Amino acid sequence: MDARRHPEGMSPAEQAVAQERIALAKAGNAEAWGELYRQYAPAIFRFCRRTMPTREDAEDATMDIFVKVRQKLSQYDASRPFSAWLYTVAANHCWDLLRRRKLRQDLETGEVENMPLEHPDPGQLEQLIERRTGQEMRRALDKLPARSRMALVLRYYAEMSYDDIATTLGVRRTFVGVVLLRARHQLREILEGQGGAKLAAGGAA
Amino acid sequence: MNHFDEMACLLYLEGQLDPARSRELAAHIAECAPCRDLLHALQHETILLSSALTEDNESMPARLATEHVRSLPSWVWTLAFGAFAAGAYWFWTDGIGPWFDQLSNAGFGGTDVFSMIVFTGAFWEGWSDMIDAIQIGALILVAVVAIAWIRRRLRRSVAIAVVVSALLFALALPPQAGAAEVRRGRSIQIPAGEVVHNDLVVTGPSVRIDGTVEGDVIAFTRNLTLTGHVTGDVIAFAGETVIDGTVDGNVRVFTRSVILQGTVAKNVTAFANSVDLVSKASVGGGMIVFAAEADLDGKMQRDLLGMVGRTDLEGLIGGQVWLRGGSLTVASSAEIRGPAKFEGPQQPVVEAGAKLASPIQTEVTQEIRRTRRTEARSVIRAIFGYAGALVVGILLLVIFPGFFRATLRETGSIGLPIGIGALALISGVFLLVLGILLLIVGIGAGVAGVMAYAPILYVAQVFVGTWLGNKVMGQPPAVTSAVVGRMAVGLLILRVAGLIPFLGVLVWLAVLLWGTGAVLLGFYRMSRAESAPLPA
Repeated sequence: MDARRHPEGMSPAEQAVAQERIALAKAGNAEAWGELYRQYAPAIFRFCRRTMPTREDAEDATMDIFVKVRQKLSQYDASRPFSAWLYTVAANHCWDLLRRRKLRQDLETGEVENMPLEHPDPGQLEQLIERRTGQEMRRALDKLPARSRMALVLRYYAEMSYDDIATTLGVRRTFVGVVLLRARHQLREILEGQGGAKLAAGGAA
Repeated sequence: MNHFDEMACLLYLEGQLDPARSRELAAHIAECAPCRDLLHALQHETILLSSALTEDNESMPARLATEHVRSLPSWVWTLAFGAFAAGAYWFWTDGIGPWFDQLSNAGFGGTDVFSMIVFTGAFWEGWSDMIDAIQIGALILVAVVAIAWIRRRLRRSVAIAVVVSALLFALALPPQAGAAEVRRGRSIQIPAGEVVHNDLVVTGPSVRIDGTVEGDVIAFTRNLTLTGHVTGDVIAFAGETVIDGTVDGNVRVFTRSVILQGTVAKNVTAFANSVDLVSKASVGGGMIVFAAEADLDGKMQRDLLGMVGRTDLEGLIGGQVWLRGGSLTVASSAEIRGPAKFEGPQQPVVEAGAKLASPIQTEVTQEIRRTRRTEARSVIRAIFGYAGALVVGILLLVIFPGFFRATLRETGSIGLPIGIGALALISGVFLLVLGILLLIVGIGAGVAGVMAYAPILYVAQVFVGTWLGNKVMGQPPAVTSAVVGRMAVGLLILRVAGLIPFLGVLVWLAVLLWGTGAVLLGFYRMSRAESAPLPA
């Protein structure tokens, strides 16, 4: 799974091949660029699919991201993993789009006092999430506010560092954990609501 | 001892806690069961999130499979355009050019036929009045198809921009006919003395024009009688047409019989069962006649072009004659001032006294007789047709199983595919006619369109056949051979049904509409969700 998300996270030999490919593409080799595209496009498309509201948006965003990547390829610093850099470009692009569409209704930042600091009941939490299918989770994720969803995708799909997430979302680094935790709470609320509906549906079937 | 809060637990899990606090927490959970449980629950949640986000539930859309079209080197486009232009040129010089050469050899100089059909614009002008609905429907369909097609290559905004601008261009192209006067009714009459200062569009069982129309007359009627004066063209779709008055423009009729008694200043085009140009009639230009019988006793100043079963020539033809058909009789009173050419199964009969500029150049064609041999051949052809359709169907099923299933599913929802198919075929015919009318510009596009249509029309039968087979034999198990068996049965039924006289034609028409619509819908579905799981 990780290999698919971060295709170069493979053996050193393969990594060397990937690095060479990137270097070639940087130098303007169309074939190498084509291979890079084929290698990373599925992961980037899935990333966009998770962050953007519709499939069409995701398709368009994927295309635009690769156009951007091609233009910016010379700026890529080879000491960083390529996929991390790619995801940064992708994240910035998608977040920009979402923000421009004013989908970011949860503009409020820094109300840490909103965070429930009490200890949640671990048993209840386990009960809530156990036997959830990926499908159910994704449906719940789609209902999250844009920033919460973005944060979760950046962290748990693109595996970005807190620093990068902070830069992308434009929040202080110390606030990233809060955003993530709040997103999880929102997700749990949605799952709770779904649970009831799910039970009813199950009864009918 | 204080419990750690959820935030701290999460940061600890994510490795974001500073080392001192991290150690503290590690020590705490070693002893505190609730905190340990919370940590586990959070970790569980992380795993679930991560796998839900990574799961490959949706494959890449086709248009992303390869990199952006924009990255195609420009020489590819240049080459493709060059190849297209060369193809169009080749088609023109080899396919169309000789035809026109032949026509002009036969006395129909480019200006005659060509300008009559194309440049007077009367056809187009009339059409835009009459078939707005079809036209708009066709344009919308073309637009939808174009968007769907371009969508796979370009971004949505660009695709829409391209299509919309193309549509606007298309709509702007035909000269908008001025608001014509429209009359409907059981019996329409423009009495003598009445003047219509406009184009006149009339629909009704019976139309009689004794007055004056300062413009074109476009008529849909059973009986059209014109004794008055029309300053423009007369375009008629009628059962019986009688033109006894004066027409300053052209006459174009699609009718069962047409009798021309008056004066037509320009040309006459007639698609009819019988065409009668009585002796007192006069045509200022030439005539194009497609008819079973033509009695031409009147005068025409220019050329005669026709495909006519039986032609009797008694009048004057100022130009040349090119005829193809069953028989030609030139009476003693006839006069042909230009060269004449006749193609038919027998020699023309020329009575003594007929004035000919030169002997009629004749080409005797062999009558095609239906022999036992040709019957055998048609049986063999039917078998080959059946086998061919079956092979194509099997290939489709094997090579594009997803497309096959999607299309078959669309076939099942009978009404929608038939509607779509009808719309597509109408628009196709419309585009073809348009292509022919705007000959020079449209020929390449027209041919390309037909080339694209042909395979779709062909595979239409496969899906309707398979659907029929499924209906007869029940839904097949998910085995290729079972599907093929049903396809074979269904196609056989279609073939046999197609042999029934008259009804067979209707059957094929329905199959074409239905199957074409289903195929188009199938394409559409496939382009939408390349890998959407299809229920078997």
